[in-house]
Amino acid sequence: MDYLQKIQFAANSYYNRGLEMAKERDLSGAALYLKRALQFNKYHTDARNLLGLIFYEMGETSDALTQWVISINLQPENNRADHYLDEVQRKPGQLEIASQTIKKYNQALFHAQGGSDDLAVLQLKRIVEEKPNFVKAHLLLALLYMEHGDHTKAGKSLFKVLQIDKTNQKAQRYMEYVKSRTGKADVEKRKMKNAFSHREMQDDDVILPPTYKENTGWQSIINIAIGLVLGAVLVVFMVMPARERSLNYEHNQEMRAYADKLNLANQKADSLQKEADQYRQEKEAAEENLSSLMGDSDSTLSQYGTMVQILNAWRKGDIQTAVQLYIGLDQSKITDESMAGVLGELQAEMNASAPAVLESLGAQSTAAGDYDTALHYYEKYMEINDKNPQIIFNMAMIYKTKGDEETADQLFGQVIMNFADSPLAESARAERGY
Amino acid sequence: MIDFEEEIQRFKPSLEVEAVSDAIIKSDLTDMADIMMEIMKEIKEK
Repeated sequence: MDYLQKIQFAANSYYNRGLEMAKERDLSGAALYLKRALQFNKYHTDARNLLGLIFYEMGETSDALTQWVISINLQPENNRADHYLDEVQRKPGQLEIASQTIKKYNQALFHAQGGSDDLAVLQLKRIVEEKPNFVKAHLLLALLYMEHGDHTKAGKSLFKVLQIDKTNQKAQRYMEYVKSRTGKADVEKRKMKNAFSHREMQDDDVILPPTYKENTGWQSIINIAIGLVLGAVLVVFMVMPARERSLNYEHNQEMRAYADKLNLANQKADSLQKEADQYRQEKEAAEENLSSLMGDSDSTLSQYGTMVQILNAWRKGDIQTAVQLYIGLDQSKITDESMAGVLGELQAEMNASAPAVLESLGAQSTAAGDYDTALHYYEKYMEINDKNPQIIFNMAMIYKTKGDEETADQLFGQVIMNFADSPLAESARAERGY
Repeated sequence: MIDFEEEIQRFKPSLEVEAVSDAIIKSDLTDMADIMMEIMKEIKEK
């Protein structure tokens, strides 16, 4: 193997390494190896084209164009650089925009190096908005932020740089500085320490399962929403019924209290009603008593009046009138003790005198055809003396005359049975048709 | 510790598009093979 072949192999080795690093987005490292490959073999087209791509990816359009143009010059035919150049120049104005962006960056760098940091920051912010992969602009912006103590913004810019070129030495160095200022370095150190420590478990240590995940913002919102829904469900199905039961219980208690009061009031009303009824009955009884005392002919006062009339007629010797009044007297109403004694004496007199008078009055009424009055006198006679067969026979005859054969036969039977030796018994038998 | 003044001076202006042609012309494309060929040529001449 001659020296030229060895040089070719060395160039290829550097290219391969550079290609690997580029695939891993270690663009700075890849650029170093690709430059080394080109130092061994300037005709290594792939190495040069890849180096151009890396410059283009890092926002260095002019450096990319330089490499691709040289590549085309060294290998005019069958060269991928032709395609890259075509892509960059195809879109109208794209190259002009790239040119302006680079000019703005250089201007911002001029301001920054001249102490006009604010102007530089404004310019650089606009540049990274237009060209987010411009690594040098991000780095300069991060440095300015760091200088002004805005380490959070610096960290964001550096994070973008490391996304494009993950081993960018300047970005790594700045990032370490930023982390040391924001406290993230300590947090990461603790995490590393915990990750590799083998200390004994403490009682209050918590073992997180492998499936455990820190909630993101959206997950937190969703979890809060789920929590609110569950809370609402809990309120609807558990708290509200309990509250409703409580309200119902209170309502029932209140209703029960009202019902008790109502019952008491009703009982009182019933009691008053009973008292009123009692008073009303007493009033009616009193009125009745008064009426019985003062009212119609059957009243007590009237009976006392009759008593007086009887006594007057008796004193005058008018026995017939006295007897007629006596048979109409309601003796039960004579309750006065002094009058009751008088009545007793009168009864004795009447028992002796009244039968003859009554028999006579009955005969007169019968003769006059007033059978009912005749029967009335005979019945009064029977109350005083029921052992006179003539009276019973006379009553039977009146009933027979009135057509009441049954009563008449019964009375004829009494005469026949009780007074068999009496001449009237034979007449009674004849009347009954024996 | 990062020295801002020192650090800011390390930043170099980017190559502008208009300067690409100059850059290409000024590019030193000498590689290891050129150097070897030069050395071997000198050796033969001696």
